[in-house]
Amino acid sequence: MKKDYSILKKSDVPAFFASLANEMQLIGPKQLFSGDVTFDVIQSHKDIYWDYGHVVYPPKRFLLPHFEDMFRYTCDQEIKIEPTCNPQPQAIVGIRSCDVAAIRFQENFFSYPIVDPYYKEHLNNTVLFNLVCNTPPKKECFCICCDSGPWLESGFDVQLTDLGDRFLYEVGSDKGEKATEPRAYMLLPATPADIEARRQIELQADSRFQTVSYVAKAINFISADEVPAKIWEDLGSTCFRCGACTNLCPVCTCFTVDDREESDGTFTRCRSWDSCQYAGFTREASGHNPRPTFGSRVARRFYHKTSYQYIIRDGRHGCVGCGRCITACLTKLGLPDVVKRIRREMHEFLPPKEKAAEV
Amino acid sequence: MVLTPARPRRMWGVTDQPSANLYVPMIAIVQEIIDETPDTKTFRLAFEDKEYAKSFEWEPGQFVEVTVFGAGEAPIGFASDPNERSFFEITVVERGKVTRAMHALKKGDKVGIRGPFGNCWPLEDMKGKNVLIVSGGCGLAPLRPAILQILANRKEYGNFLLLYGARTPADRNYKYDLDAWAKRDDMQVLETVDVGDESWKGNVGVVTTLFDKVKVDGENTVALTCGPPIMIKFVTLELLKMGFSADRIVTSQERYMKCGVGKCGHCCINHVYLCTEGPVFTYAQMKELFELKL
Ligand SMILES: Cc1cc2nc3c(=O)[nH]c(=O)nc-3n(C[C@H](O)[C@H](O)[C@H](O)COP(=O)(O)OP(=O)(O)OC[C@H]3O[C@@H](n4cnc5c(N)ncnc54)[C@H](O)[C@@H]3O)c2cc1C
Ligand code: SF4
Ligand code: SF4
Ligand code: FES
Repeated sequence: MKKDYSILKKSDVPAFFASLANEMQLIGPKQLFSGDVTFDVIQSHKDIYWDYGHVVYPPKRFLLPHFEDMFRYTCDQEIKIEPTCNPQPQAIVGIRSCDVAAIRFQENFFSYPIVDPYYKEHLNNTVLFNLVCNTPPKKECFCICCDSGPWLESGFDVQLTDLGDRFLYEVGSDKGEKATEPRAYMLLPATPADIEARRQIELQADSRFQTVSYVAKAINFISADEVPAKIWEDLGSTCFRCGACTNLCPVCTCFTVDDREESDGTFTRCRSWDSCQYAGFTREASGHNPRPTFGSRVARRFYHKTSYQYIIRDGRHGCVGCGRCITACLTKLGLPDVVKRIRREMHEFLPPKEKAAEV
Repeated sequence: MVLTPARPRRMWGVTDQPSANLYVPMIAIVQEIIDETPDTKTFRLAFEDKEYAKSFEWEPGQFVEVTVFGAGEAPIGFASDPNERSFFEITVVERGKVTRAMHALKKGDKVGIRGPFGNCWPLEDMKGKNVLIVSGGCGLAPLRPAILQILANRKEYGNFLLLYGARTPADRNYKYDLDAWAKRDDMQVLETVDVGDESWKGNVGVVTTLFDKVKVDGENTVALTCGPPIMIKFVTLELLKMGFSADRIVTSQERYMKCGVGKCGHCCINHVYLCTEGPVFTYAQMKELFELKL
């Protein structure tokens, strides 16, 4: 597929997305009465709230629902099993680069080495319209440290860059091309000046981040299991086990499975989000729990986010720098803080010679 | 010799997925229920679909996800002879919701089966070596197919020793097998119980107390172990003292599991998904996974 740039004038945006909405459900940033912005089903293209900085709630649930029926069955006389996955075509519009990167991470996880049929079906039916971040990032954002933003080289189906009165429109996949084709007449050719304008935006965007994350240092310590248990237990001692960090993380995928009886007497096997921060996550039926302490569970979360072993397994580290775990956590056990604390406290554990080299 | 618990020939979702959806089970019928101990039963199962039954192959050490319709799903290891193709057996301890429902099943009831999952005991690589099996409680269940397989190809292995520990004489699994195996002259069986009773004439104490009673050539023997985590720990330490190298101590690990196919995340140890890359690991492999540190 040839990379090609065009222009979508802002005055054509309503018609463009109204036309897209005839073919698929639109998901996009929507402002609630409270003023918060969340990803939700968009009834009318007017509800797309383009002007947001960062959405606390990621669009993860449109690909990996909180609760997802896997199949339904009856078990009175005959056992009849009926799979229930039937996703409708959808476009996620105005999604940010970090969230697109997270979806690609999940796609990889759910297709290798064994394909998860539900995630695959959802993703096959989804077109991602990425919106480059050229508003100042929130103070929690650090995608720049995680190679997942503020714009993307690949991974999107369509990428939009706000150039004032128009969007630079960039198609990144066959799926994006297919979704563009019926509306291609609304697009204009991009000029070299448009592309230069975008380059300037990229340069500016780079310099505006406040949060930095010392992931690289943490990768070394965590991968080699060099972080003393005491540091983990100190970190874990403040955790409320609420699970907000993993629920809001666009990368986290863990789920549990339960059979539920319906009012009509049939049963549904349902999967729902779970969290490694909960004590019951690993507790075995015998009562033995391989991760019995808060510290061991916090260590688990950051091992999965940053370890070198996982980078080899999944192709990148398990954090896209969206900063949601910082916003969500009452006790500030967000990724940048934790890796910063590990870096600082590990410094005290280093022998004097290495310490000197460190500074 | 480097032992690596191999990836088996067949694993649902990788090589042998009967339906388009790897989360949907196949139906099997309970043919026979055997009471093992007060809280343990063995279920003999056969697939309803005879064609599928013919193609269903598995290897010692692998497991299935068993659905009790109306209750849920739980991972259970194969417990029978892998050469027996018309049925397979699982041995289940009553623990919680699903296993309780399993214990309420009757002959002729239907269950759902997904699998086989996981890797297997490295029986091929062990040929020509002596074999030591150390097992505790219901940990004998996943080892039973390996024992039967070794006995079926007895000439290919050296000395064969089984050490088994149960809590009380009533808690011995597969009493009929243990008694028959003890009579054989091509294998040696030693048993112990934590707490004896009047009828018990054998050893009393934890399974490691049996090590004093046997002579094992640590250099030329492969040890297979399965049991509670604390048992595995002390058995491994003993074996190391006896001269076993880390790659000749092979263990089947247990973890809370939901999906069996490396997606739900529950069974993950460091970056290794036990359900697809385990449950069988050598101690050498375990040492790499620091969450498994003894
Ligand atoms: C590879 C493998 C092989 C196995 N092979 C065998 C075998 O051959 N034989 C055998 O008997 N067993 C085997 N097991 C163990 C078996 O899978 C468990 O005993 C079984 O899953 C228990 O399921 P259950 O529904 O009865 O228990 P559950 O009711 O699901 O309880 C299991 C755990 O769920 C959690 N839990 C449940 N309810 C709650 C609650 N309300 N709040 C918090 N936590 C809760 C607890 O942590 C509990 O320990 C094997 C396990 C594995 C991983
Ligand atoms: S958000 Fe914070 S308090 Fe809640 S589980 Fe995560 S680390 Fe613990
Ligand atoms: S770990 Fe935190 S910052 Fe990283 S992707 Fe998850 S929620 Fe975002
Ligand atoms: S059981 Fe779900 S990941 Fe292993």
